[in-house]
Amino acid sequence: MPQIELINVSYSYRTGEGQSVRALRNVSFSVEKGEFVALAGMNGSGKSTLAKLLNGLFVPSAGDVVIDGMNTRDEERTFDIRRKAGMVFQNPDNQMVATIIEDDVAFGPENLGVPREEMIERVDRALDAVGMQEYRTRSASKLSGGQKQRVAIAGVLAMEPEIIIFDESTSMLDPEGRAEIMDVAKKLNEKGITVIAITHNMDEAAMADRIIVLRKGRKVLDGTPKEVFASPEVEACGLALPPATELARMLSERGFRFDGTVTDEEELVEGICSQSN
Amino acid sequence: MFKDIAFGQYYPSGSVVHRMDPRAKLLLTILFVVAIFFVNTYFGFMLTAAVLLLIILIAKLPMLSVLKSVRAVLFIVLFAAVINLFMIKDGEILWSWKALQITDQGVHTTIKMALRLVLLISGASLLTLTTTPVEVADGTESLIKPLKYLKVPVHDIAMIMSIALRFIPTLFEETNKIISAQKARGASFDTGGLVARAKALLPVLIPLFVNSFRRADELAFAMDARCYNATENRTKMKVMKIGVADIVGSLFIAAYFVAVLLDRYYFNGAMDSLIFGGLV
Amino acid sequence: MLAVELKKLSYTYSVKTPFEKRALDNVDLAIEKGEFVGLIGATGSGKSTLIQHLNGLVKVQEGEAMVAGMNASDKKTLKKLRFTVGMVFQYPEYQLFEETVARDVAFGPKNMKLEKEEVDRRVRRAMEVVGLPYEEFAERSPFELSGGEKRRAAIAGVIAMEPEILVLDEPVAGLDPVGRREILALVRKLHEEVSPTVIMVSHYMDDIAEMADRIVALKDGRVVADGSPAEVFGAREKLAAAGLSLPTAARIADKLAARGIVLPRTIVTPVALADALAELKAKRAEKESEDREGEEEKDV
Repeated sequence: MPQIELINVSYSYRTGEGQSVRALRNVSFSVEKGEFVALAGMNGSGKSTLAKLLNGLFVPSAGDVVIDGMNTRDEERTFDIRRKAGMVFQNPDNQMVATIIEDDVAFGPENLGVPREEMIERVDRALDAVGMQEYRTRSASKLSGGQKQRVAIAGVLAMEPEIIIFDESTSMLDPEGRAEIMDVAKKLNEKGITVIAITHNMDEAAMADRIIVLRKGRKVLDGTPKEVFASPEVEACGLALPPATELARMLSERGFRFDGTVTDEEELVEGICSQSN
Repeated sequence: MFKDIAFGQYYPSGSVVHRMDPRAKLLLTILFVVAIFFVNTYFGFMLTAAVLLLIILIAKLPMLSVLKSVRAVLFIVLFAAVINLFMIKDGEILWSWKALQITDQGVHTTIKMALRLVLLISGASLLTLTTTPVEVADGTESLIKPLKYLKVPVHDIAMIMSIALRFIPTLFEETNKIISAQKARGASFDTGGLVARAKALLPVLIPLFVNSFRRADELAFAMDARCYNATENRTKMKVMKIGVADIVGSLFIAAYFVAVLLDRYYFNGAMDSLIFGGLV
Repeated sequence: MLAVELKKLSYTYSVKTPFEKRALDNVDLAIEKGEFVGLIGATGSGKSTLIQHLNGLVKVQEGEAMVAGMNASDKKTLKKLRFTVGMVFQYPEYQLFEETVARDVAFGPKNMKLEKEEVDRRVRRAMEVVGLPYEEFAERSPFELSGGEKRRAAIAGVIAMEPEILVLDEPVAGLDPVGRREILALVRKLHEEVSPTVIMVSHYMDDIAEMADRIVALKDGRVVADGSPAEVFGAREKLAAAGLSLPTAARIADKLAARGIVLPRTIVTPVALADALAELKAKRAEKESEDREGEEEKDV
């Protein structure tokens, strides 16, 4: 059984003027435990709506979202689902509840009624996992964006989730901050946590095992980075190819030949070397 | 524009006063404030100042941080002093001009009132200088816990308090950013009459409100995602414990209270005459 | 003519508190009218403090800041200075406040106390330039626009003042690839049509390498590099010492160099890299055929 399953999911909401907007139309896919999936699309493609459907913050207008056999429609399982599928949001400032870092990390376990001794251990482990142990008693307001997001990840880890959804968690960060967060995401995935990264940055999507591309609420592509970047659809979806892929294309126009689609710099360098010596 | 709202901002020095139980500090601050209202002799004020100085020393606070808090209310103190000085008609007249007169009683009452206000503010600022806002919120929650049985949502109140405190620096920063952005478009906030000035604030207040609603929305999602309200049996990581410093502190403030009461009701001003002789 | 001239400019935040921080340290910088300067440096290197000196939002503490012939510490010309230097802050859409886009864009020109006709003319022009046609967007609420449109509306609000110098702080932060491309194209257009001098702060070295004529790099409040993109990014050791990264093209060139394909260090854009590699390949092919001919001759 897949860990995450979406079956014909549609979602509509009403705007301030009473108009109904269909944010998602008939989306189906499933994710196995331990996968690293990027959900890509331009602003307004429905990717953030989809993220909020995965942990029951939104409930589909039609279709079903099933997490580990639990349907998000089942209100009695809401908190089990949210504990299992943690979420890191976009704005570092708007997801921190407490002023002191360790207090914020403890927020989830406190809500779940985790006993105190175990909670302290969990907070400890979570802060270690994101490399923020030495800051634990400090105030969050003096941290960099990347550090704040790492604290947010620790807050999710302290609930001991099996899935972590990154809802555009890097889009407000500088390049260093982005790298920090992607690094942590990768490490967590190596430890067996399923990662769903919502992004419009193709460099980040290229790190995933699989990319699902949304356009105007519909799923248009679903495959490995190589497959997705090879598709002519990518740019029609308002996405840019990773710089390495873009360069390989420019070089192809200038007489170079590459085997398949280039997705990262190492591959590109290898490809160039093989035909220049 | 908002630089001066630094009243009693937490000053970390890691002293024993900082490490005291916030509940003890809250209660002792209340006790201290009540005591000040019983003080009515110069000796009593000297005693109060000595107590404050001692706490400042133990808490390793710079004098300046306390004086800053006083400066924030200086205007009110001066205003009240002037009113007092001219309103009190009892006692010997020292100076008069037309309807205005100053009496010796007036002078004494004015000095005492100013001293009382300054010491009161200094005392209260010691609490916020040595206790983080979160500790104040936690302490308050713990102290009002019995109200739970009267169906008061104690935990929600505490949550609102701590979130409000958590967002104060964020909102200040945001306000300053918006002010800069509007100034860059030629807005001015310090010219024109009262109405013009109030109107000039709209370009700051509207975005601030819009952004705050957005923030509140996002924060609500984030709290839901982290299982807020999942169980009635919420646990807490931080437990507050009464320690030796709290007991010593309590005894110290209690002794001070007794001294104030003795000075007022038993010695009845005798200490003042002893120290200041004929001056008072 | 000089648009900006900073002389020994220093600035310290929170003087005499535990949080004291020197944000600028003896900065000397002269920018000619018409230049497109990319300002780079890690978070906290002093970029924000520097640009806020340019329109007097931060008061000069030490040194001197002359901008478009005005002294930034001169209170008499402060208003004029602010209209001369247009400042587009990070996430400028968070400063929108009026009921309609047109009124929001008019805020700056109205503060300049211009005639109503002139205000109207500028609002129309600014909206057209940023790609929000007046007829379509003038009466709409800025809060109902899409993310990219909001940002363009906010930029229109700045350029409606028709500033001689335009300063942009991370203009593409948080945008998706389409939005990014649009805003970068817009910045280029503004440089050509509205504000001759542009200073753009960005963390994206690829953008800076493509757009700027000149790059100024800050570290710990000091200018650590100043020159053309080729010069600044060419000085690899200096750049690494300043904790700055390379544009993608230069980084790939370095990786190729490590594998024996040595290219000039002045390559900073993808096109330049692709061209250089193609040229190299052509040369080698030529040399190989020459060699082959030579060998053939020997055979004879």
